[in-house]
Amino acid sequence: MMLQDGATQLLCLTASSGVPLFTRGASKQLPFSVIGSLNGVHMFGGGQGVVLTCSETQGGGKVVWRLFQDSVILIAVSGGGDGGVGSSKEEEARLQRLLENVWGCMVLVLGLDELVNVRNVERLKRELRSCFSLIDELLEDKQEGILGNLTHCADSLVPPNPALFQEAVDGFAQAAESEFGCLVVHGRIATATEKWWRLAPQEVVLLSALIRSHSASGSASCDYPIFLPHGSPTVAHRLLRFQLLPGADVCVLCGPTPSLHGAETGLVGRFWSPLVETLRECLAVGERCLPGSVSVRPDVLALLLINRETRRAVSCVRTSNYHYDDPLLSRARCWELLKLFYIFSTSRYFTQEEPLCVSTEEKAQRSNTEDFPLGFSHQPQQCYLVTEECKSYGLQTPQHQLFLLILPSVPTFALRTLATQTLSDIVAATGF
Amino acid sequence: MATANPRHCAEKSISSRHTDEEAAQSDEGSDCGSTASSFSSSDSSDDLEPEWLDDIQKNGELFYLELSEGEEEAALAQQVNQGVSTNHVRFSEKEAEIITEQNKKQRCGSRAKGEPTLKKLARILRRKRRPSQRRGGKDGCKDSSSPPASILKNQQGQRQGVTVQQQQLKEVCVYLNPKRLGGSSTPLCDGGGLLEALLGVVHRPAWSRGQEDPAVLTREERLTVHGLIPNSPAIKCGQILIGDALVAVDDVDVTSENIERVLSCIPGPTQVRLTLETVAPLDRVSAGDTSLIRRTKASPPVSQLVRLLWGEDTAELQMSISHIPHIVMYLSLKLDSTSPQEEEEVLYQYPVSGASSQLKGVRGIFITLCDMLENVTGGRIISSSLLLGKHLVHVGYWKESNNLLVIGLPAERVPLLYLQTVVGDVVRTLKVMYGSLDSAFCKADHAPRLDHFFCLFFQQLIQPSRLREDSSSAPPPDISGTLFLDGLPAVRWLTLPPEIKMEVDTVLSDFESSDFGEMSEDFFGLRRLYIILGSCLFYKSYLIANHLPKEDLLDVCLYCQHYCLLPLASEQRVGQLVIWREVFPQQRANGATPGYSQPEGRHFLLIVGLRHFMQCVLLEAGGCASPALGSPGPDCVYIDQVKATLLQLEVLEPGIEERLNAPPAPCLSCADWFLPAATARDRLDSLASSSPVFSKLAGAVKASSSGYRARTLFGEKSWRASPQRSLSDSGSEGQMDAGSGSSSSAAPGLSPHSTPDSARKLGGRRDSLGSGGSDGSGGSGGLFKIPRMKHPNPFYLGTLKKTLTERETEEMYNTMKLTSGAENTLFHYVLMETVQGIFIAPTHREVAQLSGSIHPQLIRNFHHCCLSIRAAFQQSLPARSRRAADRPQGGGWGLGPVKEHGVLFQCKPENWTDQKKPAPTMTYWVIGRMLLEPVPQEFYVCFHDSVPEVPVEMAFRLSFGLAL
Repeated sequence: MMLQDGATQLLCLTASSGVPLFTRGASKQLPFSVIGSLNGVHMFGGGQGVVLTCSETQGGGKVVWRLFQDSVILIAVSGGGDGGVGSSKEEEARLQRLLENVWGCMVLVLGLDELVNVRNVERLKRELRSCFSLIDELLEDKQEGILGNLTHCADSLVPPNPALFQEAVDGFAQAAESEFGCLVVHGRIATATEKWWRLAPQEVVLLSALIRSHSASGSASCDYPIFLPHGSPTVAHRLLRFQLLPGADVCVLCGPTPSLHGAETGLVGRFWSPLVETLRECLAVGERCLPGSVSVRPDVLALLLINRETRRAVSCVRTSNYHYDDPLLSRARCWELLKLFYIFSTSRYFTQEEPLCVSTEEKAQRSNTEDFPLGFSHQPQQCYLVTEECKSYGLQTPQHQLFLLILPSVPTFALRTLATQTLSDIVAATGF
Repeated sequence: MATANPRHCAEKSISSRHTDEEAAQSDEGSDCGSTASSFSSSDSSDDLEPEWLDDIQKNGELFYLELSEGEEEAALAQQVNQGVSTNHVRFSEKEAEIITEQNKKQRCGSRAKGEPTLKKLARILRRKRRPSQRRGGKDGCKDSSSPPASILKNQQGQRQGVTVQQQQLKEVCVYLNPKRLGGSSTPLCDGGGLLEALLGVVHRPAWSRGQEDPAVLTREERLTVHGLIPNSPAIKCGQILIGDALVAVDDVDVTSENIERVLSCIPGPTQVRLTLETVAPLDRVSAGDTSLIRRTKASPPVSQLVRLLWGEDTAELQMSISHIPHIVMYLSLKLDSTSPQEEEEVLYQYPVSGASSQLKGVRGIFITLCDMLENVTGGRIISSSLLLGKHLVHVGYWKESNNLLVIGLPAERVPLLYLQTVVGDVVRTLKVMYGSLDSAFCKADHAPRLDHFFCLFFQQLIQPSRLREDSSSAPPPDISGTLFLDGLPAVRWLTLPPEIKMEVDTVLSDFESSDFGEMSEDFFGLRRLYIILGSCLFYKSYLIANHLPKEDLLDVCLYCQHYCLLPLASEQRVGQLVIWREVFPQQRANGATPGYSQPEGRHFLLIVGLRHFMQCVLLEAGGCASPALGSPGPDCVYIDQVKATLLQLEVLEPGIEERLNAPPAPCLSCADWFLPAATARDRLDSLASSSPVFSKLAGAVKASSSGYRARTLFGEKSWRASPQRSLSDSGSEGQMDAGSGSSSSAAPGLSPHSTPDSARKLGGRRDSLGSGGSDGSGGSGGLFKIPRMKHPNPFYLGTLKKTLTERETEEMYNTMKLTSGAENTLFHYVLMETVQGIFIAPTHREVAQLSGSIHPQLIRNFHHCCLSIRAAFQQSLPARSRRAADRPQGGGWGLGPVKEHGVLFQCKPENWTDQKKPAPTMTYWVIGRMLLEPVPQEFYVCFHDSVPEVPVEMAFRLSFGLAL
């Protein structure tokens, strides 16, 4: 067995020549013969009019192939290893998302032209190195509380007094001659200009990831050229990021002007220094994402609330005394369960519509991977799962999706009431 | 018991004697029994052959299927019941007499000859079971069950002979079975020959008639129908009339000259198309004689399924799905470069044409992946997904030693979640039939049989509707349902009242004891040929008794499922079914039990079906029976014993039917009743004129003895409904109750037998119907049953208060209701007992009673959801078993073992046209729960969401009621 349990390896090759561009993930790289065969079967099928999309092995191992723009092929191999729900269908959905994101990430950094018209493979290889940190982050997916890679909904944070921030972000972006601006707190978007929300969900998610990775590096500000995978895949924009406080960054997407230095000295202080105290309050909200005014029942272990219209999501895992000492339900495990339950519900019951900027090719792909929900003659609305560790509840309304992990001690028949109550509480309190 | 060599003779004498003992025993006052005994007393002749004898193949296997004679009659009788009673038959006395005479002559002749053939016996026995019919047959004209056929139509036309009106051609499908031909018993001397014997058409050549016009006296004479023989295919189809002329058989022109030759070419039971020239001007007939029109659509063609099972017609069926990619391949992973053959790695492949060739073209992918991925991820490859143009195809793998079985199926038929189950079942079926995949695929002479096997497999999955003949009227087949129910490691069980159950078990045990008279070992002082390991009994596709270990039962059931034997039996098509083949029960082959080794032996499966009953017997040779040599064919003694058992069991048929007709317990609701009234009313208004649905509804009420109330129908509809219903049957216990709110309109005008329901009032229902359901007139109704006879309720006053108290009493009378609350909200359920390998679900009839437009949709949806739920249970099973071992911390552990999973659905009526109001909605739960204690069970329910249920309680109640 060449791949350890649970490890995911990502292979990237040029479609035309089969030259490996990079491999990421897993400590031990797969031997080249395997990489070549994996690419070969896909390429051979393509010649015969058969597109190989995925394969599954016993124990949950998965291989997913995806060809992008007829130029680059991405292959994700996951070692599986452990059974349980979340092994096959869910794993496939996760890997598909991963490939989409990696491709988006490559476009974000290099631009579509570089990737489609490969003139010099060696140069492309070198240039791709600049994506590695971002790709690794996507691959490892270690940061707790960030589900956007999966949901394609921007991880958000609801600040205690959003109006103040909204005003500041709008003003700041305008001053920076941009329509796209956002405030990121703890890696989650606290406020953004209206145009920012109009970006494709995948772009928002990838930009957040990029900002997070730069923010984590600790630099006070940066100026980074980016391509928008859907909005402008060939024309670069500048992403300006300024650290306001540790954990709080403000960003704008802009053209050639203003300069990083000019903006940093002229604009940041003007708009943000009055708000430092408010920002501190906002930072205090922390990973709970919801302001203290919102009370969530103590039975709820974790929640993920998605606004389907604005494509925003808030999520949190609560660390209360009830279950902190339970070794089975560590915070990490809660996040993992929440993710798995999200994939479980969406791949089986709640079809996802991403109305904006999803290419027809992608749509076809998605309808193929999500063939199961289409088989229902009636619309699934809610679902729950009782496992040994906890109870999970998912519900979907035209406006929202809510996923909850609930203590196993809560009786099953009360789950529904609890979930609807939680939803209405949060929506009423925050207008999310 | 006889040995191999002298067996032939001895056995037969035994068997025939037995059979007619049986017949005499269970005679029902008809003279057949005695006739049969008189036959057999003189037996000794050599031509004592069961009709399936010719079908035995070289390897001893037998698959003999014969449709029942009653098929077409049933179809006709059904139509007659719909009320054409004005059709009077005119007889030419003379002609009629001829028929009768001939008929008698035949009988006498055959009796005189005393030919005690088994088939005759069987035929007589079979006839005995329909005494009414036979009585009808005797006097050669109408009988109660078959239509008043106008044997002679248009007499003057025929008399005048030549000056007839327009000549018209018509085509008639007739089911013929030459095997059942009484051989020489037919008076060939009469010149009737096969025409009379096989088809039942009496044609008297002109020279023998004498009195006819001498002008037409030529050698090649038109085959005018001069008479019809009672109980013959010709008369039963009801479309062949005296005076018609037979022009062609299956498009072969026939005359008196060649008819015998043509008919003699019919090899086995089949359906032939006769072209007849009729003298009747059809328009006149259509004006005066409605029965004729009715009959033009009478005789239903033999269904595709049966033709497929007979091995006919596979090419055409296969052609129709050739554009859908699907394939099965058996690939060798061993490269043998010395082999001169092309494509030597393809050991077997089906189908060869169409889109599958594209899949075959990429077999390199499958081989490479199978080989490589095992090294990469450490697990064998299970499945791949491919896109062929627009079709998504899932490919399932099964590796055995150095060979690889690859099955490709379109994704819209088999979701990936369930592919593994489907492939696993196919593999297991093949292993049961052939021992191992290698022995199945690697023998060249198996290829045609495998083709047939996989043709059935793909047809069932890809176009199940084609296999059912009445596909036009039937709802779209429930593919998910088939997948789910067939994929359960269990057999559909029918609970029977204890006394019937006991009787059935006793009969089966008697049979299994192998202690049938002369068959005991001491009788001949020889070892017996087979030990009966056990048997199981199906009635109309429900398992009603099982004396097999679970794994053996599943093996047998997989075989039956694959060959569609269960639906076949339920559609009342089987006249006789005899299947014999060697099987390799998986449990026994694997020798799973430690410390006890199974006796080395070979196993044989014997399936005998008679009408609705089907018994599967597992026999063992070797062990304590004598070892089997070569490939022994079916053994008459055992077959006859099974038949005798089945005949014995037929006494119980009314009891079982009563159980099937009994109102569902636990009682079910129809989804349509939960939608606000407006929808149903609209729909009904539109349908009231043409009203197929409406009459079906009435029919359903008639068929059920359950009182059932479709509240939505009422209000306006009640008065329309009741007269119709009381017309259709006066004796029904069923009652539609127009109990909307507190109005009690139903009682008057109903039959005195009817049991007025205690209407389940809606007032108390906590409803979440959304818009319409809250007022008294809208809303829904509940279905519930009242044990009839036990609970007549003459004091139906109809006030709400009364109803409530009534409900209480009713509950005391043990109406089995699963859900709690004021109203029954259960729509559907499936309960699987893992240990016994059985599941129970509402019977087809119970589901059919709840006809509605949404309910079938709901059931489809339920099954689809169950696929997902069960997949979740399945995936958590390995995790569960590994619980003791170290559980990995952190990633990869998945969601963990799933105990319960539920999904809430919302449905809206289709074609909601009202712009002003939003469409009413109805929400319901589908919940699956896996219980490990006290017995492993899986339980799937579907109920309205108005009542928060505790499924544990439901499961408990249901399994408590499951008397095993």
